[in-house]
Amino acid sequence: MNKLIGLVGTNSDHSTNRKLLQYIQKHFADKAEIEILEIKDLPIFDKPANMQVPDSAKALAAKIEAADGVIISTPEYDHAVPASLMSALSWLSYGIYPFVDKPVMITGASYGVLGSSRAQAHLRQILDAPELKARIMPSSEFLLSHSLQAFDADNNLKNPDQVQELEGLFEDFLSFINIMKLLSHTHAAHVKAAENFSWENN
Amino acid sequence: MKLVGIVGSNAEVSYNRILLKYIKKHFSHLFDLEILEIKDIPLFNQSDDQTNSAPVQKLSQKILQADGVIIATPEHNHTIPASLKSVLEWLSFKIHPLENKPVMIVGASYYDQGSSRAQLHLRQILDAPGVNAIVLPGNEFLLGKVKEAFDEQENLKEKRTVDFLGSCLEKFVQFITLVSAVEGPKKPVLEPEDLYATGKIATTIEGVDKEADDWLEQAAALVDAVEGNTYVKLDRGLLTVDQLNYFLASMPMELTYADSNNQFLYYNHTKPASEMLAARVPGQVGNPLSKCHPEKVHKGVEWVLQQLRSGTMDAFRVNVPTHGPDKYVVHNYQALHDKAGNYMGVNEYILDFKPIVDWYLAQTGQKLIGDVDAVSSATVKDYHGDDVDAGTSASVKA
Repeated sequence: MNKLIGLVGTNSDHSTNRKLLQYIQKHFADKAEIEILEIKDLPIFDKPANMQVPDSAKALAAKIEAADGVIISTPEYDHAVPASLMSALSWLSYGIYPFVDKPVMITGASYGVLGSSRAQAHLRQILDAPELKARIMPSSEFLLSHSLQAFDADNNLKNPDQVQELEGLFEDFLSFINIMKLLSHTHAAHVKAAENFSWENN
Repeated sequence: MKLVGIVGSNAEVSYNRILLKYIKKHFSHLFDLEILEIKDIPLFNQSDDQTNSAPVQKLSQKILQADGVIIATPEHNHTIPASLKSVLEWLSFKIHPLENKPVMIVGASYYDQGSSRAQLHLRQILDAPGVNAIVLPGNEFLLGKVKEAFDEQENLKEKRTVDFLGSCLEKFVQFITLVSAVEGPKKPVLEPEDLYATGKIATTIEGVDKEADDWLEQAAALVDAVEGNTYVKLDRGLLTVDQLNYFLASMPMELTYADSNNQFLYYNHTKPASEMLAARVPGQVGNPLSKCHPEKVHKGVEWVLQQLRSGTMDAFRVNVPTHGPDKYVVHNYQALHDKAGNYMGVNEYILDFKPIVDWYLAQTGQKLIGDVDAVSSATVKDYHGDDVDAGTSASVKA
């Protein structure tokens, strides 16, 4: 069975993205073993000159490294990914490269109608940066709008159409992971490219 | 024109900081630029509201008072740094200082791209409803290969680059004029001050009438205050209460401490009220500030406290000319802060500058010529001292 990480894309105590990941964890328990990880204990990224990455980020990196794939669920703040998730991804690409060639699926929940569409596009661009270089599942988007009303009392998704959509995407993600395992020839080169990428000193 | 420049990175070394410094220096004929850092702003967390923390409030006030904002952003992982995004999240959560504020984006990076993706993201973010800034269209200033761009004096080497930057900045100045004509000026709204000290802070002593003449004796008994030859550990030193009193009494000025709840807690009592520059009497200690000033000057007192609490000013000075020509008495209102930068109250120190100026002139053999204000510079235009009532400090007209 595939081992996946569900990364909660916010440091907030209350998050429908966390709820969505918990639902995915439960709903697909027979298809994958999903561990939900938090970013809220990471300090703000400040590009330390000594390249010291905090232990909390290293622990997160080790788990991502060991996983077959990562599902990131992001809210949208000010038309973009939250600063806390941006900060976490900066640590996770600062002299360590757990995301290089890692299959990633993006989901997002928002209180409003747009369901974090801009944040998801933004996140794709970030994950494509030289030091992250994740393999982002193409042509897939799960936008959960009106997320405060989306779950029932047992924290299950209410709308059967959304459940069906999510099931399809999840199956695709498992296939995507398998295909990506075949594309392993360039991995060493990608890691090397990430390591060689010197930080813009600005 | 007053602009602020935000360094969009919390890193120690930043070429974007150098770029803003260059703009400040080289284009001072177009505007005054104050450079603001973001490294003390905490990571945004919806569940831990720090909107009222000193660094966030200070940044917000500076932005509110500026005619426009220049943001200099690097590019990290194809986007703006998390630290800059975090700042913008605080400034769009409970407060919205960038609303309708003209903003210009510049960016420097080590590579050819010069932060192009980051600048586009920043535009999109500044356009979000909670931020709602008005961003200068076009005029993208992307400074690529930044390590080679500056000379040893941190000036831009290429004349073409300087000219283009200049034309962008000139357009931004015009843009600000245009926007303010459309939007109208937005005055910063400062919280009203509770001059009656009806609130409560951690150090407020409850259960004693603030207006009682023996507030000090009652309050001291209540908290079991130490006195006399008891030692008090200070930062950095060790004195007895007596020694502290000798020390404060020896200060060549009248000192007054009012806490952040606007309660008058202390003055260095060395003279009877009639001999003081601003009369104070022992029974006043413990009073709310409203009681220390006549009602007609409450507005002025409030204005000063608002400036100090918000961080708009660190100190406010006013000359009180009612002491005759042989004195130059200045009331200084100095904000007090704890180590984290939180407002802790005000130190009003009242000082006659004349002997200091005289001593300086005698020592250096110089003489004052003409404009006396040029030497003292303690007067503040637009605000002048009111008459000094017995038992009050100088008031200020707002």
